[in-house]
Amino acid sequence: MAYAYLFKYIIIGDTGVGKSCLLLQFTDKRFQPVHDLTIGVEFGARMITIDGKQIKLQIWDTAGQEAFRSITRSYYRGAAGALLVYDITRRDTFNHLTTWLEDARQHSNSNMVIMLIGNKSDLESRREVKKEEGEAFAREHGLVFMETSAKTAANVEEAFINTAKEIYEKIQEGVFDINNEANGIKIGPQHSTAAGAGGAGGAGAGGAAGGGCC
Amino acid sequence: MPSSDSDDFESADEGHGSVDKKERKKRLSSSNYSDNTVESDQESKKSAGAIQKKIEEPKKKEEKQTDGWDDFDIDDNEAELKKDSQTNAANTAPSKKVENKPSDNQKANVIKKQSEAKNPIESTQDTGWDDFDDWGDDDTSKNDPSSKPQPTQQRQPEPDIKAVTDRLAEASNKSSGWGWGWGVDSLLSTATAGISTITNQVSQGISTVLETGIGAPDPEELARRAKDNESKPQPNRSEEPQKTENDPNAGDAFQLGSLLSGVTKFVESTGTKVIAGGLDTLETIGKKTMEVLQDGDPGLAKKRAMLGLDAGDKPVLSQVLREAKSRADEEDRVKEEKREAKEVHYENLFDDFEGLVHLEALEMLSRQVSMRIEERLRSAEPDKRQDIKETLQQVAELCEMPEEEDEEEESEDISKTEAFHERLLAATRDIGVKLQFQSLVKQYTEALDWLSADSATEKTVYKRAVSSLAQATALAVEVYHKTAEMLLVKPRRSTADESDALTQMTVVLTKHISELATLFTEKLNTLETENKDQVNIYITNIFLEAGNSSTYIQNAFQLALPILQIGAV
Repeated sequence: MAYAYLFKYIIIGDTGVGKSCLLLQFTDKRFQPVHDLTIGVEFGARMITIDGKQIKLQIWDTAGQEAFRSITRSYYRGAAGALLVYDITRRDTFNHLTTWLEDARQHSNSNMVIMLIGNKSDLESRREVKKEEGEAFAREHGLVFMETSAKTAANVEEAFINTAKEIYEKIQEGVFDINNEANGIKIGPQHSTAAGAGGAGGAGAGGAAGGGCC
Repeated sequence: MPSSDSDDFESADEGHGSVDKKERKKRLSSSNYSDNTVESDQESKKSAGAIQKKIEEPKKKEEKQTDGWDDFDIDDNEAELKKDSQTNAANTAPSKKVENKPSDNQKANVIKKQSEAKNPIESTQDTGWDDFDDWGDDDTSKNDPSSKPQPTQQRQPEPDIKAVTDRLAEASNKSSGWGWGWGVDSLLSTATAGISTITNQVSQGISTVLETGIGAPDPEELARRAKDNESKPQPNRSEEPQKTENDPNAGDAFQLGSLLSGVTKFVESTGTKVIAGGLDTLETIGKKTMEVLQDGDPGLAKKRAMLGLDAGDKPVLSQVLREAKSRADEEDRVKEEKREAKEVHYENLFDDFEGLVHLEALEMLSRQVSMRIEERLRSAEPDKRQDIKETLQQVAELCEMPEEEDEEEESEDISKTEAFHERLLAATRDIGVKLQFQSLVKQYTEALDWLSADSATEKTVYKRAVSSLAQATALAVEVYHKTAEMLLVKPRRSTADESDALTQMTVVLTKHISELATLFTEKLNTLETENKDQVNIYITNIFLEAGNSSTYIQNAFQLALPILQIGAV
């Protein structure tokens, strides 16, 4: 598919908060209550349109288990956006946000747009974290905040798309250098003239993003 | 404001973009005159060609009889040159008809300042070519009529001049609708251009800065007379022409003969407005012009005919649309070709099957682990450092691809896909992590099913072949990526087993790729075809992409090497 931009997202947060379910809801519009534990990282992709431009969101859904922490950290680099997810029915997942945020800030580029997501908003009766607390945390750390439900799809689209809009605005403002793929943004193949440039550019992208690690 | 006349002009130039460019061009046209006579000749030949000549000839004849006709002709020429000068700054000569007086003209410019103050109405006496001599004087003398001939008065008309020129600039800036104007009705736009020319002339005549007065005595004379009669309506006048100048075609639409219909249009539509505005001067010019135009050409039939011919040179709506459509068709065709090319473009398919992103992630892991290994090497004791290096080397050697060896024993009792799965499991039996090969097996099954079905053409077989190779490769790369991740979190490493397992797995996977390629090329060979050459090209490409696939797989294997190595150090 031709796209104007490709944004790399990462989804991070404690295990079991619903990261993979959010991704599945966003990419496939379905909910799968029982999900295999994510190993390392899984991928999802979807096209969205912002400002009349086709944008491919390439989403890196990381494993939340502590064991994979060192691995998943190496995937942060080169992400343009991050969804930092907690479970509103589990206070501990909210308490771990600071650690996740530090991790993300340390291992990604400073312009990365971070969206804080309180997931499982459908489970109101079991809520342990008030919406206001999430809002306050987001305000304090300069994040965008939303409560979502991967089950009912409430706010799921919005969470992914609003993040993309923020990134897009940053591109317009010149904050992101779109030519530096370490920023998690690639220019789509439709911008290149040669027919084969799409693949070639993509192949080069691996090297460029990897180079960012050093 | 600068006090000297020339400074005035300069500042006007700086302040007012394109109008003043016009002005400048006009002034240039006088000073560069000798150069431009030739160029202008060429230019007009190019742009108007024979038609123009045809038009000129009768005009020259008429010129002797009537001044008015001559004026317009010249003005047209000059206007056209103005247009030319947009691409060639130097190419701004006045009309050909004055070309016999280049040096005079230059002098006129120099003398201008001196004479202008003294000679307010000098040029009004002149007619025809002689006017050109006094061209420069003309302007300034026109500036003066309502006031006394003093140098300082040069600035008095300037606000008006500026106003007019400013508006002219706006008008010409707005001239983007040119092509469409022609398209909608080339005649009309010529007409409006003509109006622009007239009004331009008139306003210039009134405000008297611009040198458009070349050989155009009648309108100017009239204008001046009118001005003499009524000194007040000056601002009014500069206001009115401006409205007509706002026509999008103003500025660049000047063409030979445009004036002809320009006048008719002028009389028909704009005339009302202008007259209503109290510009009886313009009315007089219009009437006079009509007389001139219709002289020997009742109903303007000839001139209209000329216009029609003239319009043939220019973009017409239907033509523009036809061209746009053929361009669009061409683009569509190219797009379609590109889309088709993309459809069977291996790298794009590989990307679509997430091969690229897995490779990218594996690469990130690989680099990070490599850094950790280097870190360990640096921090190790010197004597241990050598051991580590040796260990790393040993692991690398374990992972060297074996030479092509034992031909696979084809077990007849199980299916190809089952055999494939068995081989993968056997290869990775001792790796110590649970690997998933279902997706690879499933994809293989689908490919075999597709191949066993009929109703395939060369093209579809080829597409499917490339797609299958890209998908199998993407799935294989994913296996390497997942394996690397799992090995990294594996509590107890067994580097030798892991290395052997991954090496065997690589052998199985690369063989699988060549098996796929062979299956598809065999299918191609079974097809009845008239186009054997094309089929051969397809077969070659399939094997090329198979080689590509093997390269990807072995690259992925190499990226996994540090992950194997770090378990040993």
